[in-house]
Amino acid sequence: MRALIVEDEVAVADDLARALQAAGFVVEMARDGEDAWFKGSTEDYDVVVLDLGLPRLDGLSVLRRWRDENRLFPVIIVSARNDWTEKVAGIEAGADDYLGKPFEIVELVARVRGLVRRAGGRASSSIRIGNLVLDTHRMSATYAGRPVRLSQLEFRFLHYVAHQGGRAVSAGELAEHLYGTAETTDTNAIEALVVRLRRKIAPEAIETRRGFGYCLAGDSQ
Amino acid sequence: MKPRSLRVRLLLSAAVAVFLALAAAWLVMTVLFGRHIERRVQTDLVRDGMQLAANLSIGRDGLPLLNREPGDVRFGEPASGLYWQLTTPAGSLRSRSLWDQALPASKVVRAREWSTRSAGGPFEEQLLLVERVIRPDRDGPEVLIQLAIENKSLHEARREFGAELALFLLLLWVILSAASWSQVALGLRPLSRVRDALDALKRSPGERLAVAPAQEIEPLVRAINELADAREKDLVRARRRAADLAHALKTPLAAIAAQSRRARESGAHDAADGLDRAINAASAAVDRELARSRAAAIRASIGEVNSAALPAAEAVVGVVERAEFVAQVVFAVNVPPELVVPVAAEDLLELLGALIENAARYARRRVHIDGAESAEGRMLSVEDDGPGIDPGQMADALGRGARLDQAGGGHGLGLAIAQDLAEATGAQLQLARSELGGLKVTILWRKLTPG
Repeated sequence: MRALIVEDEVAVADDLARALQAAGFVVEMARDGEDAWFKGSTEDYDVVVLDLGLPRLDGLSVLRRWRDENRLFPVIIVSARNDWTEKVAGIEAGADDYLGKPFEIVELVARVRGLVRRAGGRASSSIRIGNLVLDTHRMSATYAGRPVRLSQLEFRFLHYVAHQGGRAVSAGELAEHLYGTAETTDTNAIEALVVRLRRKIAPEAIETRRGFGYCLAGDSQ
Repeated sequence: MKPRSLRVRLLLSAAVAVFLALAAAWLVMTVLFGRHIERRVQTDLVRDGMQLAANLSIGRDGLPLLNREPGDVRFGEPASGLYWQLTTPAGSLRSRSLWDQALPASKVVRAREWSTRSAGGPFEEQLLLVERVIRPDRDGPEVLIQLAIENKSLHEARREFGAELALFLLLLWVILSAASWSQVALGLRPLSRVRDALDALKRSPGERLAVAPAQEIEPLVRAINELADAREKDLVRARRRAADLAHALKTPLAAIAAQSRRARESGAHDAADGLDRAINAASAAVDRELARSRAAAIRASIGEVNSAALPAAEAVVGVVERAEFVAQVVFAVNVPPELVVPVAAEDLLELLGALIENAARYARRRVHIDGAESAEGRMLSVEDDGPGIDPGQMADALGRGARLDQAGGGHGLGLAIAQDLAEATGAQLQLARSELGGLKVTILWRKLTPG
């Protein structure tokens, strides 16, 4: 596993490096934006930890350049600028997660591991069901060509239902799969999740088969 | 001591100045009137004297003789105050009004023209006396013609005139003072408008004074507006510096956290614990300070702002749902697309960010974000199915002076920040138990009631 740490503050960078090395990563460092952009453009990483306040080229610009160049490795932003405006801008620029400074190193390592786990280990990079295309690598989706940003839970829901070959999946089974339990509160949460997904994607994207459960509209391909 | 009120000062000075001018006018007019009536009396006396001269002849005994006496009846009444006397070296002829008395003899007058002087009279009164020497016959003796009138009547006329004039001038003084009062009021009215505008400026530093109601006030209005601009710039700069400082502190804090980890790895657990506690306290203080400076900036912000609630809620959820700790949380956003709230977009992001992240952190499965507009006002609520806050602590948490970050249930700093921000935007933050089981936080922007 290769990780790129983009951080100009030496003490923080070293700490990150040691923590990620301890977690089993091979770590490379970039101390400024230009260096980071070059490394990200030419090397493949499994995860990038990106500071925003960088010399020469700011972190958000670096991230936008990578995404424009279709560099799709997961990126977690680590920034002292903890405003929500900045966080939203970071996520909209293509970051996969955002952590404000100062942070618990344990939390950072957990989040980095989460990003890698979600992004890795899938041979096929996309599944198409009707108008819906799931990108298993980026954990994102498009519907009729329109990009849809998904939370982990939403993605896992769609991923599970998409793999059922047109079979309707009950809320209880989904709760069991997603939460490991199937209490009433969990099945209620699944219903709320369906409402949210229909709103995000399209009302007709998820069908309800009365008495059976949910399935995706269109044929599995 | 000078009066503090400009109005009173102007009124007093106007009243005093008008009073002095009118008093001077009274004095001059009384003197002029006195002289005028004296001249009139003098003319009358001279006319009577000419009449005497015209009817004058000298008797054989050298005494003056009158063919016809002047017509004024007062010459016939004893001590009437109006007298005549003709004197030759042989003796005098006098009006009956002199009775057995005589007019004071002329010491110096030998003039051929009429001359006037004051003199003591025969009946202990003061007299105004005109006299002249004529020679009726070329070879005859000279005759001193004297006519006199007592001064008392002149004085009385002058006093009466003075009193009437004083009364009139007093009335005039009152009228002029009233006029200057209204003039001062009229003149100060633009200043009171400026004062009202300044009150508005005090309430909202973004306000500016409108165009001056009078040309003379315009430089003042301009100066005040420039001062307000400068003050606002200073405020913005100070807040930006505070925010920059807070941001700048975060990276060193992260560096100290790295040192703490290293210390822990090398076995210095107590030192690392101490450092961690200090780091946590410092980061909480920095976050709180940033929220405060943001809240202060909101309070000072210019004009009315509105932003759509749904995109802000979705944007925040879009960030929060990336986090590892919300991997099992479903966000239900039920905010009408047309709902706008009176907050700037970035401030709404902060407000919702603090609440939604908080809710997500403690939620088990679900976080609901609802929005509505009702007769009461516009509201947004964030609720979760987590452990919530004990109802007893809820009341304490929103009590005056309480610190929400000390409230139970671990909801902590997020609520404190949200409360600061909500209050700055004129909203109320209400805590309640959610139907989902956890905490429900409602931000309510009450409708402004007219008046």
